[in-house]
Amino acid sequence: MNSIDPVGLANTVLGGALLGGLIALSAVGLSLVLGVMKLVNLMHGQIVVLGAYAAFYLAAFWGISPLLALPIVFVLGFAFTAPVQHFILAPVAKHGEEAGLLTTFALAIILENLFIRFFSGDSRSLDTAFSRETLAIGPINLPTIYLIGFAISLTVCLAVWMLVTRTSFGRSLRASSEDPISAAIVGIHVSRVRWGTFALNGGLASMGGVLIALCFSFTPSSGSEYLLTAFAIIVLGGLGNIMGTFVGGIALGVIQSLGAYFFGDGYRTFVGLVMLIILLAIAPNGILKRRRSL
Amino acid sequence: MKNGISILLSRIATPTRVGPRDFIIVAVLAAVAFAVPYFAGTYQQEVGFRILQLGALAAAWNIAAGYTGLVSLGSAAFFGIGVYTMAIASNAGLPIALCVVLAALVAGLFALIVSPALFRLRGLYFTVGTLALAEAMRIFVVNSPWFGGQAGIYLTARAPKAYDLYWIALLIAVFVVVCVLLLLRSRWSYRMQAVRDDEDVASQLGVRTYRTKLWAFGLSGALIAIVGSIQALNQGIVQPNGGFGMSWTIDIVSVAIIGGMGTKVGPWVGAVFIVLLGEFLIQFPEIHLAVVGVVLVLVIRFMPNGIWGTLTLALQKNRNFS
Amino acid sequence: MHLSTRRRRLAGGLAFITATALALTGCSPIGADGGTSDSSEPIRIGATIPLSGALAGFGSFLQWGYQHAVDEVNAAGGIMIDGTAREVELTLVDDKSDPNEVTSSIKTLISSTKVDALLGSCTPDLVNPGAVVADSQGVPFVAECTPIEVFKSVKEWTYAWDIFFSVADQAVAPFEALEANGIETNKQVFILHDNGPDGQAIGNEIWPAVAADQGYTIAGNIEFPADNTDFSAAIQKAKESGADIVFISSITPAAISIRKQMAAIGWTPKVIVAEKGAEPVQFAEALGDLADGIIVGAYWDPSFGYPGAEELKDAFESETGLTSSQHIADSYTAAMVLMDAIAAAGSLDKDEINDAIGETDGIYAVGPVKFDDEHAAKIPVVSSQWQDGVPIIVWPTEQATGDFLFPVP
Repeated sequence: MNSIDPVGLANTVLGGALLGGLIALSAVGLSLVLGVMKLVNLMHGQIVVLGAYAAFYLAAFWGISPLLALPIVFVLGFAFTAPVQHFILAPVAKHGEEAGLLTTFALAIILENLFIRFFSGDSRSLDTAFSRETLAIGPINLPTIYLIGFAISLTVCLAVWMLVTRTSFGRSLRASSEDPISAAIVGIHVSRVRWGTFALNGGLASMGGVLIALCFSFTPSSGSEYLLTAFAIIVLGGLGNIMGTFVGGIALGVIQSLGAYFFGDGYRTFVGLVMLIILLAIAPNGILKRRRSL
Repeated sequence: MKNGISILLSRIATPTRVGPRDFIIVAVLAAVAFAVPYFAGTYQQEVGFRILQLGALAAAWNIAAGYTGLVSLGSAAFFGIGVYTMAIASNAGLPIALCVVLAALVAGLFALIVSPALFRLRGLYFTVGTLALAEAMRIFVVNSPWFGGQAGIYLTARAPKAYDLYWIALLIAVFVVVCVLLLLRSRWSYRMQAVRDDEDVASQLGVRTYRTKLWAFGLSGALIAIVGSIQALNQGIVQPNGGFGMSWTIDIVSVAIIGGMGTKVGPWVGAVFIVLLGEFLIQFPEIHLAVVGVVLVLVIRFMPNGIWGTLTLALQKNRNFS
Repeated sequence: MHLSTRRRRLAGGLAFITATALALTGCSPIGADGGTSDSSEPIRIGATIPLSGALAGFGSFLQWGYQHAVDEVNAAGGIMIDGTAREVELTLVDDKSDPNEVTSSIKTLISSTKVDALLGSCTPDLVNPGAVVADSQGVPFVAECTPIEVFKSVKEWTYAWDIFFSVADQAVAPFEALEANGIETNKQVFILHDNGPDGQAIGNEIWPAVAADQGYTIAGNIEFPADNTDFSAAIQKAKESGADIVFISSITPAAISIRKQMAAIGWTPKVIVAEKGAEPVQFAEALGDLADGIIVGAYWDPSFGYPGAEELKDAFESETGLTSSQHIADSYTAAMVLMDAIAAAGSLDKDEINDAIGETDGIYAVGPVKFDDEHAAKIPVVSSQWQDGVPIIVWPTEQATGDFLFPVP
């Protein structure tokens, strides 16, 4: 390896932090779904990719800039996932936690193949005027798109945090998460809360997909990688903890960048996954307990 | 953590059900299967190989997932270990039988190494952990300089004939079945079931839960690796994206769920179904995997015990009424 | 008591198996099934191609190239076998970009479809497993889309053949292009390559060797896995190295990400060479004007004037409405070489067909095809450069279709 260059290292770490915060947007919803619905959503990665495709076609056909398309993509993601919860996931919930997990696993397979069928296997990428600009702070150059994505992600995470902590939907959501039976007794429409949570996740993950596609390329098969990244982030940030997820994203970004800087880019994901396994292991059952802090 | 599937399963998978009759049925079926290459052509032998391969994989997975409640999405890691052990060991000149044993040992060792981390995870978190583990293994093998990178390893051993492969797969399938049956007859099965149904209660009742889980997970992984080692012979060339590919995990889980998790016969019913469906859909390649996905969704929703589980439950009901 | 009963019954079961086995040892298992000889049967050619999965981008071109060749031969009356004209039937199976699927599908094509010969998939990952099976079962197999060195390195082939360019030629081409066009740089090269079979060969060995030969220095060399997506650390290091020239060998998604991330950190090397990944038109589509100036090795353009080349391009574009790719030329050629060999053999005997493939010596749509001792036919490499979404040939000068764009805008 080359000798360590402090400027290069600073660039790497800062870039990683921004990128991590940006990617955190795709993980926030997953954290809610896991915390509130006790559902390991294995189709999460495909929803992220779906958001990227939605923005791609909005740009290709109507010339809508991906950043401006974010609200539309949110609505599309919401509208797509709401019926999935209502018609497919809710009915199997009575068969236990694994049934939901395995159903989303099957849905992931279906979605990935539909993407290939309808969008072709080609690599795609989203582009904006900001994608190729940099912001120089002294000797450090940061991609403008990372900064914009970071800011958008932070804003949305704050909005979700407000939604969960300050609104009646949020109260219902927290109540159903802690004790669904008591929540139902006090008159909370638990199934509607679940439905809302899953669809909210759909919208958030789709927007996250747009931000990711602005920085990288994507293919129909990109989903599983985003799923694992999102899991690593929510475990780092604490389950169901919304601002924690955002911080978790930044932490993962920095860890991965350092891993990549010292061992090579190939080990970026590897370092993240090993982190995930270690964290899962050293937080003994704590992951489960901590969701009460929602 | 008690959950729905487990409750349902505990009605079907009662360990006491295994008797000498099961061994005799296996022996008879094995004898019939043994004769297949004498009257069926190469194609049928290859389809038979795939059925035996997938059935053995799902049956092995079932030991951890169905009987012990360790639902793993990390099967590809063990499979890949088997594939690569065979490639490296057989190229080093070791006899095939020894390579197979070696594959099982390496996989068992791997289970031992990862268990301290994985077993702190319960239920769904264990599942996510295994998924991450398998992906980490694939990326590690792709990146590390010792396993030929993405180019993989070419097996210098002479390629086996279709019937050789078929018989080897049959032998391994019988071995897996006998392992499962003996396990279900032993005291281990009670411990495994106790762990599956409620780990905390099991622990309070004096079951050494960690050791029970390790045995189930290790045995399951070692058997998967044995099947994996045969895939290396089948392919003649091994690559990380093939050996450690997610497709193995997808296939194993699909077969076990469609057949019936936690049942003795389910994995084999599922394997026949999935392989024949694949052969049938070969003219419609674009929709193949999507159809498997749809079948999975329908089975989980309408037959949560799989084809075999649903059948046996229906038969039991009938018997109770009459 | 209970135990001993069980033992006895088990022993009974085992005895039964042994008895059956003994009864059967008289006969032998059914091995390779004989081919068809009925003259009303078509000639069967099969292939697996990636129609889904990561490499699906290639699949559609291969599908079209193979089918077009077969349709042409059938339209001309098929192939004469033992004095009777027979139709050619093409069976294409999706290998889902998965090497395991290649193995099982090729086995099914041989044993169930009973193909007389096989064509290849695309990229070494998918071609090599198929070639290994075909070779061990004695079925002629003509592949393309796999650089010949990578193909040769697997084993000594008997029944498998490859028509493609050489990585060594491909490695030299950009240096020659720079030289021929009088491009001046600081002669510092930074290499970014994936660890696929061809990526390793070109990145670790061939490029460094050729660079040294041509008077260039290697400022750095970074390897990454083929499906990597984030390259910021590698690009950061490349930028710090001060190299004017960047050489990339990767698949398309990686090549797109690398170029985007270069732009994102505001670094534009003077020369970018992106082998393999920058070749399909989706690369230029995804990047827009960021693709401008990127050099990629190519092996075919309709303007080269090989027989049928222009017609091939026109047929593809009018039938599919898509922009043509050079992969239609090599897949079409591979199928034509195979069918010409079957015609030359005049028989469906696999060894005769195989011998006839080895004798191939002619000019096809992709260029001259003649196999060497190691079963590879080398097609010449040219350098092309993306300019306004169109690949322009910039070297060799006599085949150039436009001017060299320097530096990268």
